Order: sequence, then structure tokens, then C-alpha cells
Amino acid sequence: MTYFKRFLIIFVCGIVQIFYATYLLSNLFGYTIEWHISNHDLFMFIPGVLVFVGSGILTASYYFGDKKNNNILYDEYTALRYYKIAAIGYAINGIGIFILFSIQDWSNWNFQSANNMIYQIAAFAWLVFGILLTIFSIGDYKEFKNG
Amino acid sequence: MGKHHQNLLNNLEELRKKAGLTQQQLSESAEVSRKSINAIENGIYVPSTVLALKIAKTLCCKVEDLFRLPNN
Repeated sequence: MTYFKRFLIIFVCGIVQIFYATYLLSNLFGYTIEWHISNHDLFMFIPGVLVFVGSGILTASYYFGDKKNNNILYDEYTALRYYKIAAIGYAINGIGIFILFSIQDWSNWNFQSANNMIYQIAAFAWLVFGILLTIFSIGDYKEFKNG
Repeated sequence: MGKHHQNLLNNLEELRKKAGLTQQQLSESAEVSRKSINAIENGIYVPSTVLALKIAKTLCCKVEDLFRLPNN
């Protein structure tokens, strides 16, 4: 693993999440584009699969990679930055999901409403973590290049 | 004294230069990234006890020579 490979993995995960979030949010607000995905479509799994595979690669490199290299790549300063990003993400998502639950029309609840709420939660979580992952990856790589 | 974290004053840059080491050389010896050393020197990051001890060992000094609390 290198700084550049880590940057690529995290950046791609983040950008794909932002793309899917934008797509879902635009759908929810009534804007549609020709390319259509639904929750029955395998395309919907792409952000999750990317995160799963990316996490797997990073975890494997942490445990089985070159120790000397890993001391630098996964040092405590990087870990602290990652914890901060994750904490911000969980906090914003917690507030966001609370708001999403609050704005639902529970008196006319039906299957379609539930389906929409799942879309809203997915879109919001992807958007938040997508932006945070992208910021982290760019910041991490810039720090590596410039100190 | 260089730039400081609000909770910890550091003397790292001065002692590192006195030892004739670059940030890269110190980071390799202390087994961290160069940006960690840079972040400590610039008062952005407070290192763990283990890292502080590794840096002190590399620079052949005491941790107290490297870091001190603001009210001391």
C-alpha cells in the first residue's frame, strides 16, 4: 500500500457515494435523468460494494503489509484525522436521520412512503460520508506531498 | 520554541536541528510519517506517550526537554 493507492481507494469510494446521493436526491426532488436505477437494480449496490472492497484492501494491507511502511501509512496522526472525520460523519448523520424521521407523513404511511424514506436515508448518508471521505483522501494526500 | 499546541509547548524543531536530523530522518527513526513530525513541530498535534518517548530516544534527550505544559 502507498499513499497514492490509499488516496485512490478512498477518493473513488467518496466520489461514487456523492454521485449516487446526487442521483437519489435529484429523483426525490422530481428531477430525472435518462439513466434510471431502482432499489431492485444491482447498480444500487455499487457504493456499498466499493466501501466493502476498499475497507477489505486497507484492512488487509494494515495487518499483512510491510510493517515499516505501515508504521508511516497508518500512524497515530492519520488515525486521529480519520476518527475526527468519522465522528463528524456520525454526528451529522444522526441529526439528519432524526430530521428525516421527523418530516415523514406518518398519518398517511404506506409502502411507497417507507420506500422513499429508505432512499432519503441512503442519499443523505452517502452524501455526508461521500463528501467526508473525499475531503479526507485529498487532505491526506496533499499532506503527504507537501508536509 | 516553535509554534505551539494550546495544551503543549514543544521544542522539537530546535532539538531536531541541533541533532542534525531532517523531519524525514526523525520520522523514520520514530516509525511515524513525516507529516506527524511536521504536525507536532507546528503545534497541530499532541503525540502519544509512546511516540514522544521514541522521539526523545532518537534525539538522545528527555521527553521534558521536548515538551512542557504551558503553565510550567
